[in-house]
Amino acid sequence: MTRSDRPQPRGIDRVKRLRLAFQLFIVGAAVFTGVRYAQGKSLVSVETYCPFGGLETAWSFFTRKQFSCAAGETNLALFIALLALTVLARKAFCGWVCPAGALFEWEARLARRLLRRRNFSGVWPVPPRVDRALKIGLRLVVLALVLVATWKTGELVFRGYDPYYIVFSAHGHDVRAWSYAVLGGLLLLGVFLPMAWCKYLCPLGAAIWPLSIAGRLRLARKEHHCTGCGACDRACPQDLSVSTVPEVRSGECTLCLECTAACPTPQALELTWSGVGSRRVRSRRVRP
Amino acid sequence: MRAPAWIIPALVVAFAAAGVGGAKLVVAPSLTRAYADAASGSATRTSVFVVQGVKCVDTAERAARQLEGVPGVLSLEAFASRARVEVTYDAGLVDAEAIRDAFEGPLHEPATGEYLFGLYTVIEMDGLKIEPEAE
Repeated sequence: MTRSDRPQPRGIDRVKRLRLAFQLFIVGAAVFTGVRYAQGKSLVSVETYCPFGGLETAWSFFTRKQFSCAAGETNLALFIALLALTVLARKAFCGWVCPAGALFEWEARLARRLLRRRNFSGVWPVPPRVDRALKIGLRLVVLALVLVATWKTGELVFRGYDPYYIVFSAHGHDVRAWSYAVLGGLLLLGVFLPMAWCKYLCPLGAAIWPLSIAGRLRLARKEHHCTGCGACDRACPQDLSVSTVPEVRSGECTLCLECTAACPTPQALELTWSGVGSRRVRSRRVRP
Repeated sequence: MRAPAWIIPALVVAFAAAGVGGAKLVVAPSLTRAYADAASGSATRTSVFVVQGVKCVDTAERAARQLEGVPGVLSLEAFASRARVEVTYDAGLVDAEAIRDAFEGPLHEPATGEYLFGLYTVIEMDGLKIEPEAE
């Protein structure tokens, strides 16, 4: 047995638990921050830690050396750090950090259990072409609208529609009755179309998507180990097709490692640095 | 090349540390306001106030209006995300206490002609926390 053929240690389960711990901690921290700010006990709001605020204020910062509305240096620094993270680890932010992403993922898991679905395709499986058009087109339209409106008005106009802000700001500024209606609509949509917000509407997801495609950490599937059982496809909260590709290149992969943990053959799915040593791997594969 | 799974949480932690720690490298104000030029030979001083109520550019602008007409106040820089306001003034004409009083005074709303009270509270002045006065 060569070194690469050795079964992966089930450390993957520990990493999976660690991801849940990250999500719980960040959701808890966001609730704590939002409530303390609403009570007037703290001057730091949940907005301070949103990297999207950094993108919203980037134009103002680079052209006028001033921040827009309530955005500040932490937002911008987090957004720049997010770009670096995405280049390396794709949409790990969405799967490991984003509290709104965590809530929608938990909702999707609950809905899957209640509706007795086997995967995250939802009640209305979206045809691949439509799915792709929505992921690229609709999200980019939302991103463009939010950025143009923010840059023109100097106000963070997205606040009232942003599930993160609506949930965690504890009825913050600009949260109106219709904001809760928007949130309710998104949650309802998420029951039938899991993770609909993240997949089709989130402007931050659209902003980092091109970098995510080029992200270096990827999941590679070893065909000679794969049994084609499809457990990985069913476990993917983003409903990506893992079992049919040699390498998960989708810009939507959040590196949650649910597919790897679900795989009954531990060697079949492997986390790799794409482009590093790939020539050697390729040449070994074609050798008879 | 194979990557260990723990590299993902390690990168996420590095992202958070870089984001929060790197904030010092991209500091800029939300609002700047110049009121007057310093007279020659005057002793200018800058005081830092943490003002509860300064939450965004709009509220910072209103707070800046509070200092209009205060003799000796030269300029203001507001950092809304931290509720921090830096005021430069002529120390011979005004002091930090008077500026604090100006912030906390009633705000005249020109659109309605009303006076609004208690919009701003200075909770820290030049690094010193200010305890709320007992009623």
